[in-house]
Amino acid sequence: MKLRAFALMALTGFATLQPARAAQDAFQLPPYAHAYEPQTVDERGQWMEADERERQIRDCPLRIREGNLETYLRAVLCREVGQDRCAGVRVYAMEIPKFNASMMANGAMDVWSGLLLRVRNEAELAAVLGHEFAHFELRHGLNRFKTQRGTSDAMAWISVLGGISNTPVGSANLSLLGSVYRFGRDQESQADLLGLKYLANSGYPAGSASLVWQSLMAEEDASALGRKQKPKQKYTAGFFDSHPASFERAARLAQEAAKLPAGGDARAKEFQEAVAPYLPRFLTAQVKLNDFGGSEYILSNLSQRSGWTGDLLFARAELHRARATPRDLQLASQFYRDAKGAGYSNPDLDRNLGLSLLRNGQTEEGRAALSSYLTAYPDASDAKAINALLAN
Amino acid sequence: MQFNTVLRASLLACGLFASTMAIGQEKTGNKEGFTLKPGTVRIMLMRPVTQVGEQSTGGMYEPNADWTTQARENIAASLHDAQSQLGNQITSYAETASGEEPVVTQYSHLFGTVADSVIEYQFFPGNRLPTKKRDKGFDWAVGPGIASLKSLEGADYALFITTRDEFGSTGRKVLQIFAAMGGVSVTSGVHTGHAGLVDLKTGELVWLNADRQMGGDVRTPEGAQKRVKQLLEGFPGKPVETAALAGK
Repeated sequence: MKLRAFALMALTGFATLQPARAAQDAFQLPPYAHAYEPQTVDERGQWMEADERERQIRDCPLRIREGNLETYLRAVLCREVGQDRCAGVRVYAMEIPKFNASMMANGAMDVWSGLLLRVRNEAELAAVLGHEFAHFELRHGLNRFKTQRGTSDAMAWISVLGGISNTPVGSANLSLLGSVYRFGRDQESQADLLGLKYLANSGYPAGSASLVWQSLMAEEDASALGRKQKPKQKYTAGFFDSHPASFERAARLAQEAAKLPAGGDARAKEFQEAVAPYLPRFLTAQVKLNDFGGSEYILSNLSQRSGWTGDLLFARAELHRARATPRDLQLASQFYRDAKGAGYSNPDLDRNLGLSLLRNGQTEEGRAALSSYLTAYPDASDAKAINALLAN
Repeated sequence: MQFNTVLRASLLACGLFASTMAIGQEKTGNKEGFTLKPGTVRIMLMRPVTQVGEQSTGGMYEPNADWTTQARENIAASLHDAQSQLGNQITSYAETASGEEPVVTQYSHLFGTVADSVIEYQFFPGNRLPTKKRDKGFDWAVGPGIASLKSLEGADYALFITTRDEFGSTGRKVLQIFAAMGGVSVTSGVHTGHAGLVDLKTGELVWLNADRQMGGDVRTPEGAQKRVKQLLEGFPGKPVETAALAGK
């Protein structure tokens, strides 16, 4: 009985301890200060881990080293948060076809190619980069680590004391676990708000942040429909969600943006020019995700800005060839031809056109396309396979 | 990532996370009939993966930069001592402007994956793959491509070392005592490591030693010496030495 009382005491003790822990930061300098060195034992540990991870990202084969993409991304961040804040930041572009960017405790940021394929102008890109920078500036990684440690410590004690005193502790532990996720979501909202301030103060249209989430929701709906599923947007975050629901974020960001300066140019042209050289490979990766609805949404989004270029038409053809119903094969052949007409010049087009024509029963045309592929590209790695197909 | 940390912590907290040390687990593998080449052997010590920190009450890893730096220095020094006693010359890999860093890093990752596979599918008898039974020998490699790396030129073998230490915090130890009172087993501290030698001419893994419960406090020079001695257990000798050992 005594033990049971002790367990309960410990439980309430830990519950009151939590908020105090979060408020105790007493750092003299912001983490972006020039040549900043991490201060406490925990911060030094986080930075060391981040240094190791950054080393891996730096050497990762997925990193896009070609051209000036990383320079451009860093310039966008600097334009947004100011030179004094961005001086110590490194930005790495990674070829990963998903919507994401992240920033580590030590000021290294990685931006995924999927983000660059989705945002429609520099302002939307800046909205995401500013959000990530806010995580860094507010030391969110460190604070989350401390919260997780404090909470799991409490959970360990509750389990052991509950076990000894034969008190059921499942629900206490579950609510503590939930508090960790809630803490994470609160950090996301804080980063949204600070990121929005940077966006508005740097002259980008403040409404762009909300538009990022609206577009992402539209894509998710298109993706679900493409998979013959019901679109399921959440209005609020669930118990184990790491981020607030996109719907909540979009609404909140729009509401807050209305209070800030409206801003001017979203710099769509500059963004388009910077990303254009990489577009074909980003599209290739996206098409391979087996997400017809989502990919089609992205393509139509891109075509609204640039019109149906050769690259976009080729990607559209690839999308239909992969789904490969009879009508898809017919459409694919048509889009391949359109792409050629629009100036797409890679000989891969003839091969893929030939293959979809063959599958569609248009043997003569298909063989002609495959032959012109081999003529243009006799040393292709798949030349033997294509030759075998022609010999049939 | 975040979810995994929390989940792992909560599993540890609930005491469900039993020790991974399996009874009957083997620790060392040597390529059959392999001996280091005679004369002075030049070994390139690849950038060791060293992680030292504390284990919180709930079982989370708390990285400690100061301890890790100490451990890095102590282990490197002890390795140099141990290898020069064997008559080998050891050089620490230095990052250069050769532009080969990404490939070298990939080889380190590849070695890590191969080492994990050896531990999982050959050292652990319960999981042994049919092609990795003991009578099939010790046949693992990272591929001959490693021979073409310019930054490893001049070395005969590459030595890879990984250590991870989580020292049980005071809170964890107190929790362990309380849990024991209730008849629940809670582990405190994690000390694992592995070391492997790759022949730089063929890319073959000629020796691997892995231990899930290592001794020696790597934060001190003496402890690091003990750790290095354990890490180098079964390290292949030279032809003369093996002959001499066999004669004993």
